[in-house]
Amino acid sequence: MSLVSLEGVHKYYGEKHILKGIDLKVKAGEVISIIGRSGSGKSTLLRCINGLEEHQEGNIIVGNLEVTTNDLQLQKISKVCGMIFQSFNLYPHKTAGENVMLSPKLVLGKSNEECKKLAMKCLKKVGMDQFFDQYPESLSGGQKQRVAIARSLAMSPKVLLCDEITSALDPELVGEVLKVLEELASEGITLILVTHEMNFARDIGDRVIFMHNGKIWETGESEEVFANPQTDELKNFLSSVL
Amino acid sequence: MEQFTTLEIFQNLLLAARWTVLLSLIAFVGGGLVAGILLVLRMTNNKVLTVLVNIYVEVFQGTPLLMQLFLAFFGLSLIGIDMGPWAAASLALTLFTSAFLCEIWRGCLESVDKGQWEACKTMGLNYYQTMFHVIIPQSVRLATAPTVGFSVQVVKGTALASIIGFVELTKAGTMLNNATFEPFKVFTMVAILYFLICFPLTKYSKYLERKLNVAS
Repeated sequence: MSLVSLEGVHKYYGEKHILKGIDLKVKAGEVISIIGRSGSGKSTLLRCINGLEEHQEGNIIVGNLEVTTNDLQLQKISKVCGMIFQSFNLYPHKTAGENVMLSPKLVLGKSNEECKKLAMKCLKKVGMDQFFDQYPESLSGGQKQRVAIARSLAMSPKVLLCDEITSALDPELVGEVLKVLEELASEGITLILVTHEMNFARDIGDRVIFMHNGKIWETGESEEVFANPQTDELKNFLSSVL
Repeated sequence: MEQFTTLEIFQNLLLAARWTVLLSLIAFVGGGLVAGILLVLRMTNNKVLTVLVNIYVEVFQGTPLLMQLFLAFFGLSLIGIDMGPWAAASLALTLFTSAFLCEIWRGCLESVDKGQWEACKTMGLNYYQTMFHVIIPQSVRLATAPTVGFSVQVVKGTALASIIGFVELTKAGTMLNNATFEPFKVFTMVAILYFLICFPLTKYSKYLERKLNVAS
């Protein structure tokens, strides 16, 4: 039984054909890295999985929910599937703690007291509990991203989608964010990450997906894909990034 | 011809300035309320309502305030609604102000980063939760400075109400000039009084802009 399943997914932006028939099954607890050149459709694929972008053909199932883009369905999906962004997208007018508390309060209907406890727990998990009362503007990029991860965890999702979450960080801050991801992966959360960190993709990922031209061009176990790329496109890509 | 000392002229102008301030407040508060209602109508994302609000805004932004005052004063009395200068001036200035505030606030709402909407969607918030808990609080910060800045336009706009017989600062100036034939003295004082009302607002707007920019 797969947690996330895509069948024949096509996505168009007007005339542009972005995703050209994606089939993908992700089991619970798997860690999947999606790599590929910019414009290959990898971010779009990720954003279709939780309904942030509408797909035109095919089926996407997350948990046992059919993915559509209406508010009610998105609300259900948010309890199964969280997302972390390159640009953090924290609420700048709320403290780190309030950022984490908002959705448990409004969507899950928890009491203030419960939300506070939950937020503390989630922030502790990413090592940010001592920053509970600080506003995002006073945090470093790595700290912001860890708060964003805590915010997602508060909905206790089964799967986390990570959209180039270290790309906006200074190199010395990348490590702290990746470490949190590693811990989450070891605890059994399902991760689907679009990433430019090839070493990380190889080390943490169970499976790597190489996207090219809106299609899954090559896929396989991480070690294998990096050690023995089969297609010229992947060989070229790897030689340009490694 | 009656004799007025400079002090008396000033005192009379000062008394009339009360009505300028009061009319400005009515226009600003009333305009703010109407603008709020217009924004709520737009927020429903109903196509018809959105078009109607857009037409309203375009009409009141695209016609002179003086014409709006004339229509409120003379036009409405033609169709049997008797409008005194007070009611007509309050109505016209309120509608005028609401159109501009609606447009300023809409711009502020739309300038909140799209990433905030996406974050809210993935966190399961619906449209109204997103609006009230995330988007509006952020746009209030953005909107404060231009809103206070626009209040200066409202204060100066009240001068036009003198033409329909509303005795505020400008009208009082005209009347005193007719009595004293000292236009330079009288209208300099009028200008100074307007400046004294508007200058603190401009300063305050600049201060807010600086303060809120530093904070973000």
